[in-house]
Amino acid sequence: MNAPPTTSAIPAGQRADAQPARRNWIWFVLVIATAILPWLFYDWNTGRHSGFLLTMLSQMGMMIIFSLSYNMLMGQAGLLSFGHAVFFGLGGYSTIHFLNAAEAGSLPLPLELMPLMAGLAGLGFGIVFGYMAAKQRATAFAMITMGIGELIATAAIMFHNFFGGEGGVSANRMIERSLFGVEYASSIEVFYLILAWTLLAALGMLFLTKTPLGVMANATRDNFERAQFMGYDPRRIRFLQFALSGMFAGIGGGLYAITYGIVTFDAVAAPLSANAVLMTYIGGATIFYGPILGATLITLLQSGLSLLSNAWLIYVGVLFISMVTFAPAGLAGMIQAHAPVSRAGRMGRLVVPYIRLSIPGLATLLGFVGLVELSSFLTIGEAQGKTLVLFGSKIDVHETMPWAVAVGLLVLGGAWLRFEVKSFALIWDEVTADLKQRSV
Amino acid sequence: MEIVLISLLNGFVYGMLLFMLASGLTLIFSMMGVLNFAHAGIYMIGAYVAFEVSRMVGFWPALIIAPLVCAAIGAAIEVWGLRRTHHNGHIAELLFTFGLFFIIERGVQMVWGMLPVPYRVPTALDFPLFNLYGINFPAYRGFMLLIAGGMLLSIWLLLTRTRIGLIIQASLTHPNMVSSLGHNVPRVFTMVFAGGCFLAGLAGVIGGNYQVTEPSMAAALGPIVFVVVVFGGLGSLAGCFIASIIVGMLQTFAVVVDFSLSDLLGGLGDWIGTKNLLGEILAVPVSRIGPLLPYAMMVLMLLFRPRGLMGTRDT
Amino acid sequence: MTVPALSLKDVRKNFGPAEIIRGVDLDIKLGERHAIIGPNGAGKTTLFNLISGRFPITSGSISLNGTRIDALEPQRINRLGLSRSFQITSIFHRMSVFENIRCALLWSQGYRYSFWSPLWLQSGLNQRAEQLLDELNLLGRRDLQAGLLSYAEQRSLEIGITIAGGATVILLDEPTAGMSHSETEYAVDLIRKVTAGKTLLMVEHDMRVVFDLADTITVVVYGQVIASGKPAEIRANRAVQEAYLGALTE
Repeated sequence: MNAPPTTSAIPAGQRADAQPARRNWIWFVLVIATAILPWLFYDWNTGRHSGFLLTMLSQMGMMIIFSLSYNMLMGQAGLLSFGHAVFFGLGGYSTIHFLNAAEAGSLPLPLELMPLMAGLAGLGFGIVFGYMAAKQRATAFAMITMGIGELIATAAIMFHNFFGGEGGVSANRMIERSLFGVEYASSIEVFYLILAWTLLAALGMLFLTKTPLGVMANATRDNFERAQFMGYDPRRIRFLQFALSGMFAGIGGGLYAITYGIVTFDAVAAPLSANAVLMTYIGGATIFYGPILGATLITLLQSGLSLLSNAWLIYVGVLFISMVTFAPAGLAGMIQAHAPVSRAGRMGRLVVPYIRLSIPGLATLLGFVGLVELSSFLTIGEAQGKTLVLFGSKIDVHETMPWAVAVGLLVLGGAWLRFEVKSFALIWDEVTADLKQRSV
Repeated sequence: MEIVLISLLNGFVYGMLLFMLASGLTLIFSMMGVLNFAHAGIYMIGAYVAFEVSRMVGFWPALIIAPLVCAAIGAAIEVWGLRRTHHNGHIAELLFTFGLFFIIERGVQMVWGMLPVPYRVPTALDFPLFNLYGINFPAYRGFMLLIAGGMLLSIWLLLTRTRIGLIIQASLTHPNMVSSLGHNVPRVFTMVFAGGCFLAGLAGVIGGNYQVTEPSMAAALGPIVFVVVVFGGLGSLAGCFIASIIVGMLQTFAVVVDFSLSDLLGGLGDWIGTKNLLGEILAVPVSRIGPLLPYAMMVLMLLFRPRGLMGTRDT
Repeated sequence: MTVPALSLKDVRKNFGPAEIIRGVDLDIKLGERHAIIGPNGAGKTTLFNLISGRFPITSGSISLNGTRIDALEPQRINRLGLSRSFQITSIFHRMSVFENIRCALLWSQGYRYSFWSPLWLQSGLNQRAEQLLDELNLLGRRDLQAGLLSYAEQRSLEIGITIAGGATVILLDEPTAGMSHSETEYAVDLIRKVTAGKTLLMVEHDMRVVFDLADTITVVVYGQVIASGKPAEIRANRAVQEAYLGALTE
């Protein structure tokens, strides 16, 4: 056998590196930028922050924690849960009660530590439900998490103790106890609390991926039996991973309770669990930071797009299905696929192909959006008394012209897109094959 | 006594409706390993299409057209969607149907709005069939039983008396083997999937006016159907049938049962009181807890007997 | 009389009505290199699966160093000192070669289900992994995704993962399957090196490998042992010849 090649000869894209330190500066910059962002939108005349921005950023933080915790199951352990909101919501409910207890004087904790308590609550529930769920095989696991989710959501509407029934439970976050002497009366203060905890939680979950449990969870995901024949009980691994994921989700729920002051059954309900699936998968379940992208994007769409269109959820659904079919590695996966190309300095080769892709892509997208918006307006929007304004011009839904344009864009754009995708694929293969060759 | 008999009948009707939905789902799940999340969505489409067709030409054409439309949609989903995601694994297929359900729900909401549509029982069938202890049993429910029963019979005949039926039966329990034997499994899959959607659509036609036709009907019924499938067990239509009837009965009877767990346990409820959660759980009457019961059943079944009542493989 | 490393007594296994293993008695001595051969479908891999706990036996008993293991879960058997490789390469294809070996070391190095020990700080563990990779001649492939290794390299990794945990009884299921002549030679050397001082049980089809490595050979046909002994005895055994070549007319 020949002498084995040295490490540097391994093509960059085939190395299973932990993120090299020099790439981490991006995250550092992003965190700083996020911290500064509210001040860029500060109204210096009235002395007020943009409520919209702060709400959206705060929501993003909670959803980032939520989806990262979900990825501990989906991406890292290969477990598909349909009831993850349970831990988020129960963490929230618990925090409301902790806050009330703090106000009543029986729980003398500063507000900054409340998310920690929420995490402990999440951990507790994670242990209980994990014990039930972790023994199951894949589909049974999905079913049992769904069952638990529906049970808790129904219970949350029904019972007044702890859940407060349909109206939920509420508390005041200004418990006048803080590590840093902050009152948390204003949203900017709450925002920084959320930012800090998001950072803490994310780093915690990142740390976990580099511990024995973390890597064995990956191993169990890839090869259940092999993990057994290495001395590990894969069910125990799943159980621990499940419980810890519940803990972090609980932290998210705690922040939710602190921010909004009220928690209702929405926080444990199926739509939120579905959200976890969507955010995590779209962002990319195979790479650690994928869910961060997904949560950011979905929250942006939720805050922004929902104002513009009634049908924004359809777009999310279509995006999700497209990802499942064509890009299972999610947004992060797609970005990561370019890493070796970028490192080899060959990105330039892809510029023109991408432009050629984006034109029909845009046309198809416009056609699709047009059709959806037209239909939506026809049925809902009109009844609401609005007039349809697309790209700055008023459109009469009952004329055939707009429909024809939309259909035309969709069909013709789609056909052209398919053509371009094929030629792009050829160029992509060429570039990656070239990369492989260069390193040998 | 009257209540018991009436509830028995109603429970049976509801159970048959569930079976129509669950049978398609169990067939698809057992054969292809895909848990079709979109199944309840197809049911909903069936109801809405039936509503539209009824408005335009009448109920009876709708009875045939709507299921066919659903079958066509099912075939399209299988050929253009599931086949592509198949090589990405079971989880990808599951997520695909999950996303599909999502889109169907929003799409229906968008086209028909959020409020229920007036999809009513056809006047030809809107009369009391018989009178039991002063309560009328509507003819439409009898019609539903007829359709469901006819469907059950057809499936049974198809599966046991035709060649394709034998292949399907074999694929229920040994899908890989059937494929190795050289049968055109993809085509069988498409047929089964379309067939399952046909059934779901048919269930939508007759169920849509029995219950309310609104965008949330899929989300309300969907999880219950999963409970039935899990409860009945993989690979067994008989188990599916039994489970459907049990769940149907359970939900129907629960509504009329007024006592609570604490009543059963003697004065335990009084001692714990309702100021805490445990006490509240014990004190709530079964009639209110009805929606919870199927999920509790499913969770318990998965905990103690993952292969369901009559399943041939573990879920 | 010392306790055999592995002992099978009247082991039977039925899959439904089909009797796959029909009463196998086998004793493997400590430190022995034992090969199991036989025609296809004889049940060799099934025996492995029964020994390693993948399937439960229908009747009989299996003991490892005197302890009954036939009712134990695979991980318990592994912790008692038995490890196996798989006929179809069973590595963690998404992790790097280094991470594969490191995972295989975790339990035996005492890490259990720890979620508080950062792996990059465990110098002892990491050094041991590198050492092992060196023995396997895979150090140059250290950071490569395991799924991208060549077939022969993957088989080497498979062997590495099998022995990493320090098991004293090693089961190798067709370790040289699909290999070229030179790859096979290399694999045999590797196996000899890494299983020095341990008890080795392997299923093999390649007779050269068998006669090269094995001290003792057992022949299994239709779920039963028809012969067991030194290589020379097996070569001359009439029943064995018939099993492989059909009955000879004399």
